[in-house]
Amino acid sequence: MAPVVDFLQNCLDGLSAGAAYALLAVGFTLIFGVLRRANLSYGPAIMLGAYAATWLFLQTGAGLLVLFAVAVLATVLAGTYVERLCFAPHRKGAAAAAMVASFAIWMQLEELATLLLPRHLYAFPALYEGGPLTFGPFFVRVESLLILLAAVAVCVAGWKVLYATRFGIAVRAVIDDPRAAELSGIDVGAVSLRIFAVASAIGGATGFLIVASHEQVTPMLGMWSTLKGMLAMMLGGLGSLPGAIAGGLALGLIEAHSQWYFGPQFRDFIAYLLLFVLLAARPPWMNTRSAY
Amino acid sequence: MLRVQDLVTAYGKIEALKGVSLEVAQGSITCLLGPNGAGKTTLMMTLAGILKPRSGSIRFSEDEITGLPPHAIVARGIALVPENRLVFPSMTVLENLQAGAYQRRSGFDDDIERMFTRFPRLKEREAQLAGTLSGGEQQMLAVARALMSRPKLLLMDEPSLGLAPLVVEEIFSIIAELHRDGATIFLVEQNAHMALRVAQRFYLMEQGRVTFSGDPGSLAEDEVIRRAYLGSSR
Repeated sequence: MAPVVDFLQNCLDGLSAGAAYALLAVGFTLIFGVLRRANLSYGPAIMLGAYAATWLFLQTGAGLLVLFAVAVLATVLAGTYVERLCFAPHRKGAAAAAMVASFAIWMQLEELATLLLPRHLYAFPALYEGGPLTFGPFFVRVESLLILLAAVAVCVAGWKVLYATRFGIAVRAVIDDPRAAELSGIDVGAVSLRIFAVASAIGGATGFLIVASHEQVTPMLGMWSTLKGMLAMMLGGLGSLPGAIAGGLALGLIEAHSQWYFGPQFRDFIAYLLLFVLLAARPPWMNTRSAY
Repeated sequence: MLRVQDLVTAYGKIEALKGVSLEVAQGSITCLLGPNGAGKTTLMMTLAGILKPRSGSIRFSEDEITGLPPHAIVARGIALVPENRLVFPSMTVLENLQAGAYQRRSGFDDDIERMFTRFPRLKEREAQLAGTLSGGEQQMLAVARALMSRPKLLLMDEPSLGLAPLVVEEIFSIIAELHRDGATIFLVEQNAHMALRVAQRFYLMEQGRVTFSGDPGSLAEDEVIRRAYLGSSR
């Protein structure tokens, strides 16, 4: 009986971690779908948002709702800055130029965060003070449920916007064929900027949920978010919102099981190995041209 | 209605348009003929704002529109049906039409109905993804999508490209019909015989320059058709 309980508990843990990955992947996917460019600075912008909230908390002891708003706002500002600097000028140029520029901004954002708060580790107020919920032999953290709920909410809202609004039509038109979108009178630059802002807001909210459930902030959050988000996006097949959610949850499950059965040192190894195999084998759902 | 003067558009150092001047009169079908590589598509892309001209001027209803971005050109009332149609493949036929009306925000449902009346085949395929339509249906959709912005001037780049002869006939009868309803159309076409049947005025473009202009039926028609297909022997 014990192995089955372990396996199921791993699944719960995996889905809990995967919910955060799924949210990160949704942000990456929105940006990648509209711009067809990888934004390496996505994670660092999220980190900067979390740092702004932490700074405010240390200065004023503000409550969670205020910290949430500050994290979202600061991430949107940082994300917009990245878009104007790295992506708007290279919208029609080389994708590599935009990606390298976003890497440079990554460094800049990390420096900014460490100037703001120089220590390596800061405490962040807890999202939920109580202990985990228990169901018989299983337990789940309330924080994880909240993140899972947020992932579902973002997906449903995203779906509604993309399929039932004028803005959604414009976004999908840009994803389908940017040239044809321009010729239909859609301001592609404005749509890109707005999608960047939306993706950054989702990122800021995700970053807040992550640091508030870990109850700590480190500068590693930037790199961590970029790696996990991109990995989940690629596992999900690049450029599809449901794929991003599936990829995030899959990544969480893979990590949880590998850690349990092979040890923590194999956790990332197995995730990357799987990505390598997927990229080499290219199953049909990979690399489809982004039909949301 | 449209007046182009000394327009120069270049890709890097290579000038694809070397000083093009022409006019499109209101209510007319004007046709641009010429062999491959003459710069016809470059001219269309420049008029639509996708390419920025190096010099020269484009005036539309007396307003200078040179160098405006594509969405601003659409707002002025010029819509391009691009070469190879470029419908939105993973959107439905209906959503393609809605995208075409993007700048109008609201009140275009009647126009969608009108498009479906004009193109009954699109009505049948209303909820189908545009990528699954046949070439001719995609061309009709591209025309309908452009019309959704209620353009004063419709630019069409090679609407017959890659279509079966019967479908080409159908497309040209649609063009003639639009013209009867008062549309102004500026048409690029390789199929000179078809184009000269509907046009009131034509220009011949060769190697980035307008080398001839006239009315169909004039004495020079045979020579123009030969050059449109083969290029001049110069």
